[in-house]
Amino acid sequence: METIINFIGHFHPVLVHLPIGILLFAILMQLISKWEKFNQLTNALPLAYLLGAISAVFSCFTGLALANNGDHDADLIFKHQWLGISVAVISLTGYYLIKINKTVYSKWLSYFLLLLIILTGHLGGTLTHGTGYLTTGVSKEEGGLIKNDKPIITNAQEALVYKDIIQPILKDKCYGCHSAIKQKGKLRLDEKEWILKGGEDGIIIHAGEAMTSTIYKNILLDPVDEQHMPPKGKPQITDQERMLLEWWINTGASFEKKVKELPQTNSIPNILLALQNNNVNKVEVISIPEKEVAPADEKAINALKNKGVTIVNVALNSNYLNANFITLSHTSDTIHDLIGDIKENLVWIKMPGMQFTDALSEAIAGCTSLTRLSINNARISDEQLSKLNSLNELQYLNLVNTKITLAGLLKLTNLKKLNQLYLGQTSITVEGLNKIKSVFPNVKVDFGNYQIEKLITDTQLVKVTEKK
Amino acid sequence: MSKRSNKNIIQEANLQTSHQITRKYFFKECFSGIGAMALGSMVGGCDWLGSKDRLDQFVNSNPLMAQAPHFIGKAKSVIYLHMAGAPSQLELFDYKPELLKLDGQDCPQSLLEGKKFAFIRGVPKMLGPQAIFKQRGQSGAWISDNLPHLATVADEISFLKAVQTDQFNHGPAQLLMHTGSARLGRPSIGAWATYGLGSENSNLPGFVVLTSGGNNPDAGKSVWGNGFLPSVYQGVQCRSEGDPVLFLKDPAGIDRDLRKASIDAINEANQLTYNEFKDPETIARMAQYEMAFKMQISVPDVMNINDEPAYIHEMYGTQPGTTSFANNVLLARKLVEKGVRFVQLFDWGWDSHGTDVKNAVDIGLVNKCRSIDKPITALLLDLKQRGLLDETLVVWGGEFGRTPMQENRDGKTLPFKGRDHHTEAFTTWMAGGGIKQGTSFGETDEIGYSAISGKVTAHDMQATILNQLGFDHEKLVYPFQGRSFRLTDVHGRVINEIVA
Repeated sequence: METIINFIGHFHPVLVHLPIGILLFAILMQLISKWEKFNQLTNALPLAYLLGAISAVFSCFTGLALANNGDHDADLIFKHQWLGISVAVISLTGYYLIKINKTVYSKWLSYFLLLLIILTGHLGGTLTHGTGYLTTGVSKEEGGLIKNDKPIITNAQEALVYKDIIQPILKDKCYGCHSAIKQKGKLRLDEKEWILKGGEDGIIIHAGEAMTSTIYKNILLDPVDEQHMPPKGKPQITDQERMLLEWWINTGASFEKKVKELPQTNSIPNILLALQNNNVNKVEVISIPEKEVAPADEKAINALKNKGVTIVNVALNSNYLNANFITLSHTSDTIHDLIGDIKENLVWIKMPGMQFTDALSEAIAGCTSLTRLSINNARISDEQLSKLNSLNELQYLNLVNTKITLAGLLKLTNLKKLNQLYLGQTSITVEGLNKIKSVFPNVKVDFGNYQIEKLITDTQLVKVTEKK
Repeated sequence: MSKRSNKNIIQEANLQTSHQITRKYFFKECFSGIGAMALGSMVGGCDWLGSKDRLDQFVNSNPLMAQAPHFIGKAKSVIYLHMAGAPSQLELFDYKPELLKLDGQDCPQSLLEGKKFAFIRGVPKMLGPQAIFKQRGQSGAWISDNLPHLATVADEISFLKAVQTDQFNHGPAQLLMHTGSARLGRPSIGAWATYGLGSENSNLPGFVVLTSGGNNPDAGKSVWGNGFLPSVYQGVQCRSEGDPVLFLKDPAGIDRDLRKASIDAINEANQLTYNEFKDPETIARMAQYEMAFKMQISVPDVMNINDEPAYIHEMYGTQPGTTSFANNVLLARKLVEKGVRFVQLFDWGWDSHGTDVKNAVDIGLVNKCRSIDKPITALLLDLKQRGLLDETLVVWGGEFGRTPMQENRDGKTLPFKGRDHHTEAFTTWMAGGGIKQGTSFGETDEIGYSAISGKVTAHDMQATILNQLGFDHEKLVYPFQGRSFRLTDVHGRVINEIVA
């Protein structure tokens, strides 16, 4: 039975639009029928009011069924419910008055009905979209929007367990429905007091016992379960986050303590380390410039393709280009001119093994949007490299197996954004690191020359006799 | 000019146009046009029209020409290392001390009820981990002593510890892993990637396959097939010994100019056929002739590891002139360096049932591990020192996992320790190509029998691989037999937990 009621309730958000539409149209017709030109509309008024009233009655029934589901602020429901019922009653009355030709009364009644519909509709909107939904995103104030700026944790052990670790999770995954914006299940999770108070079903945290705490139990439920949190379709709690919540509750759900004051078992230290390493361990991802660029000259692109260059947009919706010169060993003036034609668009260039000339260096130096340049195995001199100092957007530079010297490299003083530099099989060694860092402040340098230890087991085979 | 006369001109034009549209033309155009639009809007998520553009591009130009992905991909190439036969996660990455305590005891009924195994019958005994485990690197990943070298690069890797499949036989499970379906006929992931991105090097195929271990994978060549995609996207199987591609050399008495002239003549005839029948396979065939001609020069060069410096051979443990996994791994690096999009390695011999010394988990498996440990470690480090690891996605895995129970084939005790096929939880890993470093996702229960959190499937891995290459797996589709097909069919979720 209950499922049937719930099912009927789900039709409410659709049905409510019928009385709103029909009754508003009826009121409009009633207003303009005062003009002689639209006089005949009067004949349609009884039908319009009757249809509106009937749909309003149906909306009321489905609405009552939906209210059963809970989840909403009871006070709002109360207001919305009685305003909705009065819409139904007043529209029925309006139908009756028009039917018996009490035109004057029905006119005043229509104004009142209009007001009721607006109020009911607004409250309905508030119920579905949360308080302040009208202004969210309109005003510049933070309003209902949640800003998600995760605190940077430099040392997880020194961090505050609630403020630095738990609260960001709640903010990320729970505030959408349980904070100042909305209080589904009468629960707020944005302040210590609210968290301890719990929701309509009582306390949600039993300090020291995650498994009996509703907040944790509901996360564990099967995703299709109605009680599962966050609800299906919303961003879910990750395993790491779940384990952190479990650990926090099991260690007493402290709002003040530091991480190091709490016992840490199993995988917790590693998860904490991962939080802290978010920045250190971040894999550098090469971005493209933020500013838009006009599409590149098709003719130049096709001409380069005919020369054997692989050239393609970095993505379907981007005009930036990725060019791979791998099938070429040297370039010509024509190619340099063609590079010049699309210099604004080129962001990634690969020229492994290329024979550099001054002219080629100058052509590349013109591509000031360039973020990624691979010239490994290229025959390039320090002099030719130094021309590339204009590439101030460059983030990735691969100089593996080239004759570049440290002095030559250090001439690239404008490449402040460089974050990946590959120097394997060059004359530059780790001793130059400090000098390199002083020129490229954010750089991660790879000097290559990785060795793999020789183990006796590498070439030996295990045989049956070795075992027992 | 007044508004009215403007309107008249447009009406006139419309009228003229409609005169020209015959009834036949209307039916032809509208059924495909309106039908496609309706379908496109109905299926919503599937970009049917977008895929049609891709098809037009295919027909109008070189099918292997590089193409832009949906969004900026973090990886440009993929090296997929498949251990055919399914390596035991319980001896490599999934450390279960509880299982050791249960070693030799009867398997509880609760684990057997309602389950089907490939070979286990009756009540098997539990089998504790047959390797010594340690936590490695800063990330603390558990890696056994079977892989001492890989343990040194643990911090580069993201482990998926709760991978699941629904196929417990090698062939179907491998097909599911690589084509998204346990049945034959679907394109493999390498074919999809090449279809989507084309090739960065017009002289080399976009998708190369290398096999080792003495056998091809059980599922056969379908695991690198093109399915219903044009056949130009199928994997090109190369050999690491002798001629890399068989029959690529010109026969005696035929020089390169004559070869070129004959290919040109054949392709002219093919072009006429294409103009008449419009079958994209004709274009594919023409492209393959062109490719084969270019490969005569480019392949012997790239497939030759003799010229690699000694320190590289030492690093990978390679011996030129043989067929080995190590040689294939080194070739994979060379191919990716040259712009090949997808390199697929299959190493056969990981089916550790315990029926023979070669597949005992404490003997044969250890030897298999030794044959891959150094090469894979070298691959990661070599890609890194060449500045290629950040744009090359390396994937390692098998087609399923192995049971925490000791196999008792036909209810008998086997001569060696082995484990049966297991579908409910196994470990795979990814590294490079915009994947997080030093993380692990998913957990299994205390004995490694079932996944308890972070479950992922073959489709999820495929969605993730495509995502790294810059594709929305729901939008990389190909219209076939009246509907749009995609690698992940109706499944798949990008495993964002391991994406950097």
